[in-house]
Amino acid sequence: MQSGELSAFGTILLFIIGGILFFGVAMLTARLLRPHRPNAEKLSSYECGEEVAGSAWGPFNVRYYIVALVFILFDVELAFLFPWAVVFGDHKLDVASGGLWSWYALAEMFIFVAILALGLSYAWVKGHLDWVRPQTRPSDWQSKVPAQLYDRVNEKYKSSR
Amino acid sequence: MFYSVVLLSIFGILNLFLGFLKSRAWLLPVTLLFLATALVVTLTDWNKSLFFWNYMMSTDNVSVAFATIIIVSAMLILPLSRFYFPNAAAPVPEYYAILLFSVVGAILMVTYENIIMLFLGLETLSIAMYILAGSDKRNPRSHEAALKYFLMGAFATGILLFGVAMLYGATGTFNLSGLAQYVRTTLVNGASPMLYLGLTLVLIGILFKLSVAPFHFWTPDVYDGTPTLFTAFMATVVKTAGFAALYKILSVSFTGIYSVWWITLAATSVLTLLIGNITAVYQQSFKRMLAYSSISHAGYLLIAVTAMGQTSQSSILFYSLAYTLATITSFAVLILVNENRAGESFSAFNGLARHNPFLAFALTVAMCSLAGIPLTGGFFGKFYIFINALEKGLLFLLVVAVLMSAVGIYYYFRVVIAMYMRGSDDNAVADRIIVPKSYAAVLAITTFLTILLGVAPDLLVRYF
Repeated sequence: MQSGELSAFGTILLFIIGGILFFGVAMLTARLLRPHRPNAEKLSSYECGEEVAGSAWGPFNVRYYIVALVFILFDVELAFLFPWAVVFGDHKLDVASGGLWSWYALAEMFIFVAILALGLSYAWVKGHLDWVRPQTRPSDWQSKVPAQLYDRVNEKYKSSR
Repeated sequence: MFYSVVLLSIFGILNLFLGFLKSRAWLLPVTLLFLATALVVTLTDWNKSLFFWNYMMSTDNVSVAFATIIIVSAMLILPLSRFYFPNAAAPVPEYYAILLFSVVGAILMVTYENIIMLFLGLETLSIAMYILAGSDKRNPRSHEAALKYFLMGAFATGILLFGVAMLYGATGTFNLSGLAQYVRTTLVNGASPMLYLGLTLVLIGILFKLSVAPFHFWTPDVYDGTPTLFTAFMATVVKTAGFAALYKILSVSFTGIYSVWWITLAATSVLTLLIGNITAVYQQSFKRMLAYSSISHAGYLLIAVTAMGQTSQSSILFYSLAYTLATITSFAVLILVNENRAGESFSAFNGLARHNPFLAFALTVAMCSLAGIPLTGGFFGKFYIFINALEKGLLFLLVVAVLMSAVGIYYYFRVVIAMYMRGSDDNAVADRIIVPKSYAAVLAITTFLTILLGVAPDLLVRYF
């Protein structure tokens, strides 16, 4: 490396500094320009009207974690597909190998995706994808009040609604 | 080694899907067959020295031998699972699959040529162990073990990775031979301090996993809480793979700066021997005693690494094998005693010799081997390591090690005394333990090999 020239890490450092600057300048500009009139409604978590009930640190249903894990499966797959896509269509490699390179790369990626698909099918067969809804069981309690009484009441107040 | 890694990964996935079959009867034989296949494939690499996966991995006779020890110990531990899961709903296929994956990690750790592969192997092995540590879902102690192991292990991994980054920053390479070349050339020019810092951090990361003294504090709780079957795996496979990895990185890359790191290793090994052996004396539970004993054996193995020379890799190999065999025996007997007499303390072993002479004999041989009594493999293991230390002139290490093996005899023989000299107190304890065939086979093999190594150590040593 010649002096005065940036190494690969220098570029990364510049990138980080650029990122921080970009973010900082945008936030600072917004702070200088925007009006500052907070009220209780504005400061609530969901301004759209959803009431906040309790802390978010409560226990969650464990199924959410399984769904998150299955999501990771696809996430990782996608993260590996991007660098693969860059070298897959490499013209130089393709010419050098007489067209074999693309087939090789394609086969490799299919093997990789197949292994991940195996993981998904495992989770599927195990029943981790079934989201069992709680069964609502009708109560067998017999009311002493006859049903037509309710109907009469409903009928009576129908017009006033 | 290339094919054994690939095959074992595929077998692990296969095992997951075998779990969907109605019958569980084939699961254990098929898994053993998988491991046997991997063993045969591994042994075909004998006397070949080659690189594969773009210089990421390399095999030689030593790595083949370590991989063999790892696969064989997995094959000896697996049959112990036969009656270990009384609950029909226990996810046994998943446990087997995780064990196979962890064997893959261990093999990566003994064949790596690139530090990235070391990290990958260590993580594959560790993550599998975190899961298995917490596999007893109804037992809060198992949860405690998994959480402690995970937090400590993740911390150690972070330190290791930081060290790897430092080494890369200093040398610009992850390759062991590249590091070695850098170390050779900088001896003239003066090395960057980042190299020393990186090496220290990498050492800390690996020593943490090996439960060496200043970083040992997670071991007793984790070994104690983990289901005994998986503790046996943890105490043998993880330790063997870890020492192979430690020896490889130090001997290939950093012999040039031996004067820098040997004092660190010597100090930690003295500390490990002292803490491991003296604390083991105070234990009332056999399982916790074995945990401290595993710490102290890490200390002995560390002496061989410190006294790096021509024969130290063969001493490490021999010691790992002898330690592995004896440890598997002890844990196998512990599982039986714990299930039949409901206790892990020394008093649970009272009067075992009268009702189960075979179990008592096997455990006695194992204890003798761990203590280093002649005619068992453990004696020659210690003998070779002490010779290494003597040749290197590390006399103070030798003195500490010999004194501490004398301490070791005390706590290892407590269980022997309990078995042979103490009668059982109550009638319930007096019942004879029925030894399943799979346990009997494993115990026979390990005991035979322990004695064979003690009578004819040359069978193994002449190859290295």
